Amino acid sequence: MIDAGLVEGERFDPGRARGRGTIDLLRSFRTAAALGWKMEANWTDPVLFFIYSVAKPVASALILVFMLQVIAGPAGIALRPFVIVGSALWSFVVSGVAGLAWAVLDDRERYRMLKYIYVSPSSFITILLGRGIARLAVGAMGAGITLAVGVIVLGVPFNLGDIDWLLLAIVLVLGAVTICALAVVMAAVCLQTRQESWDYPEVVVGALFLVVGAVFPLSVLPLPLQAFGLVSPLTWWIAGVRQALFPGGPSSIGGPGSLWQQLAGTLNPSAFEVVVALLLSGAVVTLASAILFRSGEARAKDRGLIDRTTGS
Amino acid sequence: MAAPGVAQPGLPAGGSPPPSAAPGLRAFVGRPTASPQAAANWTPRQVWANNLHSIVGRAYPRVRGLTREPSWIVFQMLLPFLTTSSFVFVYRALDAPAAYIGFVVIGGAMTAFWLNVVWMMAAQLYWEKDQGNLELYFAAPMNVMSVLIGMAVGGLVMSSTRAVAILFIATFVFGVSFSISQWGLLIAVFILTLAALYGFGMMLASLFVMWGREAFHLTQLMTEPVYFVSGLNFPVGRLGFIGALAIALIPLAVGLDAMRQLAFVSTGPTGTPEPWIEALILVAMTVVFIGLARWLLHSMEERARREGRLTVRWR
Repeated sequence: MIDAGLVEGERFDPGRARGRGTIDLLRSFRTAAALGWKMEANWTDPVLFFIYSVAKPVASALILVFMLQVIAGPAGIALRPFVIVGSALWSFVVSGVAGLAWAVLDDRERYRMLKYIYVSPSSFITILLGRGIARLAVGAMGAGITLAVGVIVLGVPFNLGDIDWLLLAIVLVLGAVTICALAVVMAAVCLQTRQESWDYPEVVVGALFLVVGAVFPLSVLPLPLQAFGLVSPLTWWIAGVRQALFPGGPSSIGGPGSLWQQLAGTLNPSAFEVVVALLLSGAVVTLASAILFRSGEARAKDRGLIDRTTGS
Repeated sequence: MAAPGVAQPGLPAGGSPPPSAAPGLRAFVGRPTASPQAAANWTPRQVWANNLHSIVGRAYPRVRGLTREPSWIVFQMLLPFLTTSSFVFVYRALDAPAAYIGFVVIGGAMTAFWLNVVWMMAAQLYWEKDQGNLELYFAAPMNVMSVLIGMAVGGLVMSSTRAVAILFIATFVFGVSFSISQWGLLIAVFILTLAALYGFGMMLASLFVMWGREAFHLTQLMTEPVYFVSGLNFPVGRLGFIGALAIALIPLAVGLDAMRQLAFVSTGPTGTPEPWIEALILVAMTVVFIGLARWLLHSMEERARREGRLTVRWR
């Protein structure tokens, strides 16, 4: 046979058939990320895209700020930093987790490309992660703007000089990995379900909102729910970011009468404890997500769900 | 040769006697008629029956789909209750009056309908266009409004399961006590809210026929920002002018406020119109939204045909 891709004198490159390992993975990821970003952003001009991207997280924060205002009045102003940070970070979680699941549903149900992506030589999970990273970026932008609105418009006291940059960098990286792991789980779920599952990621994240101390301290929850919150890496991530941005501020994990106080004997966890807990719980979730995705992918292939389209 | 189902003169199809001038209720395709013209000329009764069948047909996949996706029970009935619970705990952390817990529960239940209206009514024709069904809807011998009504009926059944689950579980778990004095008005307001909400969804669905991917982003824009201006978790009257505007324009805002006033009489004045006035606003909204939906669907279809957008996908 003649290889049409070879010119005379050129030797066959076995890497083209076998793959080039990490280089191929990176190329797939980069291409998928670029595609995801274009699909997210090229439907309109940048200003409109910006407005659409930040309206949702800012409105989420405003709902909570008004709840504080209605009940606590002027006294609620002291709680605003707590609520704004939690709400801003949560928009990052919502976008990140939804990104991969929507990539699955988009490519399977609307564009009907999932089967072609699946049979391509690229790693399936790498492409999905690349597609989802665009939404993570949009979520990060929304979180940043929400924080900025909190500081500039709502008067949240904020001093750049007070920030614990090392802690912030560590928890942001670990948190991003954890969010990607949760997104992989949701992608595995949406591989199994019908097209009505567009809002499953938001529903799951909304349920987690209850136990992670995003907008109220865990100590107000019943003890079993506090225990569930303490094993969730998102709880430690939010607590870590809060501690880094507002050192010495109220913690979402500890407090008088909290489960943390009963278990650890201290009122609030230290920065080191937060990082270790985030690392451990994040590692467990990441490992579990890899296993769940593999089994979900195998089940979807086995039952012919990869090229299924559904109506509603 | 005669078209299928059309009897040739003097030769009854299938040995049956020649049909009378007005075909019966079920005489659509494949039934013997005197001529192609007779087959095409439907009686008003046939038109109505056909449109009713279209409504049932469009509602069917939504209602039947509930039983075909077991994950629905967890993701659409149990987990949304936890989301609502988060806001309950925010109020508990602030030692808010008990009625505010009830506000959150009613708001949580009504989000089920709002999300359904936004995702599965407003954006539905856009999804259908991407999936290749839209041209079939417009080519089929039916009024396309039947499709919208069928979507609304099916969507109502779907979202009712979620709303009822949130309402009952949250009421039981958090011990919400309602103080209702006008049951009749409360039920009327609830029905009117649903009618206005789904009328709003039908209107948006007609608009979305023209749009591409911005439809998806608009659905995103219509969740939390609308929750905020509608006072989903707090009295909308506290928003001042924005709240008043929301009551005048957004069925979720006016319906929620009226239901809260009727379900928690003890909370006193809210700074918003009386429930019966809000009921009238809902009636007006229903009429206007459904009328606009009908007009928009027709004009958007015309425009989309002219600009060749009915079959354009993935843009």
